[in-house]
Amino acid sequence: MTLAPDTSPALEIRGLRKEFESVVAVDDVTMTIPRGAVFGLVGPDGAGKSTLIRLLTTVMVPTSGDAFVFGKSVTLERAEVKPRIGYMSQGFSLYGDLTVLENIAFFAELRGVPRADIGPRADRLLAFSGLTEFGDRQAQFLSGGMKQKLALAVTLISEPDLLFLDEPTTGVDPVSRREFWRILFDLNRQGMTVVVATPYMDEAERCTEIAFMSRGRVILRDTPEGVRGRVPGHVINVTVPDYHRATPVLRELPFVTSVEASGETLRVLAEPRCAAEECLRAIESALVEHGFSDVSVVASTADLEMAFATLIPASEAPLPTDRTDTVSAGEGR
Amino acid sequence: MRRALAIARKEFIHIRRDPRLLLMVVLLPLIQLFLFSYAVSFDVKAVPTAIYDQDHTPMSRQYIDALEQSTYFHVTGYVNSDAEVDAEFETNKTRVVVTVGHGFGNDIAAGNPGQVQILIDGTEPNSAQAAQSYSAVLSQLFGAKVAIAQLQYKGADPTKVAGLTTTTRTWYNPESRSANYFVPGLIVILLTTVAIQQTANTLVKEKEQGTYEQLIVSPIHKMELMVGKIAPWAVVSALEVIAISVIGILAFQIPFRGSVALFTLGTILYVICCLGIGLLISAIAPTLDAANLIAGLVGILPGFMLSGFIYPLDSVPPFLQLLSYIFPTRYFMTITRTIFLKGGGFDVLWPQFAALTVFAVVIVIASSAAYRERA
Repeated sequence: MTLAPDTSPALEIRGLRKEFESVVAVDDVTMTIPRGAVFGLVGPDGAGKSTLIRLLTTVMVPTSGDAFVFGKSVTLERAEVKPRIGYMSQGFSLYGDLTVLENIAFFAELRGVPRADIGPRADRLLAFSGLTEFGDRQAQFLSGGMKQKLALAVTLISEPDLLFLDEPTTGVDPVSRREFWRILFDLNRQGMTVVVATPYMDEAERCTEIAFMSRGRVILRDTPEGVRGRVPGHVINVTVPDYHRATPVLRELPFVTSVEASGETLRVLAEPRCAAEECLRAIESALVEHGFSDVSVVASTADLEMAFATLIPASEAPLPTDRTDTVSAGEGR
Repeated sequence: MRRALAIARKEFIHIRRDPRLLLMVVLLPLIQLFLFSYAVSFDVKAVPTAIYDQDHTPMSRQYIDALEQSTYFHVTGYVNSDAEVDAEFETNKTRVVVTVGHGFGNDIAAGNPGQVQILIDGTEPNSAQAAQSYSAVLSQLFGAKVAIAQLQYKGADPTKVAGLTTTTRTWYNPESRSANYFVPGLIVILLTTVAIQQTANTLVKEKEQGTYEQLIVSPIHKMELMVGKIAPWAVVSALEVIAISVIGILAFQIPFRGSVALFTLGTILYVICCLGIGLLISAIAPTLDAANLIAGLVGILPGFMLSGFIYPLDSVPPFLQLLSYIFPTRYFMTITRTIFLKGGGFDVLWPQFAALTVFAVVIVIASSAAYRERA
């Protein structure tokens, strides 16, 4: 991977906007992503994550604004942007009737990888993604996780400096997901900047920084710790048999902001004014008073899911149906 | 160049691995070739014919004999009433009923024209028309024979009588074989089908698979993509033309009387036209289904209907005749048939070549523009 002598950030987005007939899919997004980041884009379906990625990868042309990949404009210097980026689109986007190796070789040729490099790189990527023994299998006969790993391998054949991934692990089993992320971090350690859109909070948690998108705008941007730290108050885990009956009891307490069930555990958010220890004791005694036994009350920390639930005001709640980011790429050029 | 080659190589893999596609470009043309050459024969021979002899004289018997001896009519039976005539037609037993009227023999003996009525089942116009002309010729010949006999009887030398002799000879296809007409036409049709349909599909398919995005994020130039996508179909089309021509010439004894070079030139021009049409469709069609539908509408339908493949273009309504001029198929149809059957050269075919060239230039410009704009 060649690092350009300049020190321009991996990605600099300035007032980027994309309108479809009646919807603003990306609404004046401005942000800078430094080199070496694993940058997560999170947000509900229809928030504009996919459209943003399409604009940044030159697949679509923005209505206004611009973005710069290592200092090169995605609208005016596409030819210079393209060789430096890799883009793994949502869903499977390879040729099912081509074998694993044929897919890799085809995209290598297309991206102008030197002939002599194709073989060794392909071998390395296949080994890396555990696909070596499937080289001659047609892509359509791979499992979901293997398909995604192949798509990643194909994207990486040109050794991009900036990699865009649009929900790369949707529909992939947990083991393959973990595997996939291990690969991403390996690459990141070697200097590749990664921008990934994901619906999974556990994946967002692994990013160096995250941006939360809603209705086309970035409404929050921070490190995962930073986002969690913004949650006002204390998070307390309550474990109690028959937690359904316990929920109303907890909601009655004056300092409790919210109670959410997470598996068998109740996640209680308490107001900041109540010091943690005090709250723990108050909760325990309230439950005992109501006849609950085997009660466990432990201080915990906020996770991203809770953070977004509390930090995103109701007015920003996503519209459920406008999946503008599935509009076809027909107008890209 | 390297990227265009990569695309072309990939397209060939798609063709090789798609059994339906192989079926369409290899088996279907062969089936059509045999179907049109053997089964769909427009050769009209042995038309089933019934005889209604109302006269029963030696003269009427003579006329009927002449008819029975002709290979064009096959006498299937005799009827004796109008009701039976209806029944013959309705049961589809015969296509022609020849009625020799009362007094046929007497009229001729008296020197008056004898009356013969020929009823033809017109539900199938092609054989109806053939039957009509056969029977007209047959009656004329019979009439001439009778006249000569009468002149001889009166002591005149028939060779000294001024008369009119018609000699008809069918050129280029003396036996009037349908295969000679159909096989060269079929080359045109198959070329049209494959080239337009497949090019129309090719880009839309990438869009539907989601692979198109992957192509545009790569540094490939649009024109490289276009060339890479189209080249394989140009090759397949060329192979198709060669294969059908060879099978036609060897298996169906289709004559090839003209210049191979000229035919090659015409084919190249026409393939450019078809690929252009296909590309235009691919650029504007929103889905694969739409692409197929449009390809069928603008490519294949006019190919069959407005090219003179089945019906001579003189016999279609004037509006459709006008319409046929804007599709390239009719020009290439004329070129192909003229070169195969008549051996005609550029001196006679230059208007068709000129028309194809104009169409090729226009469609290439239009489709490239649409492709740059929309794809």
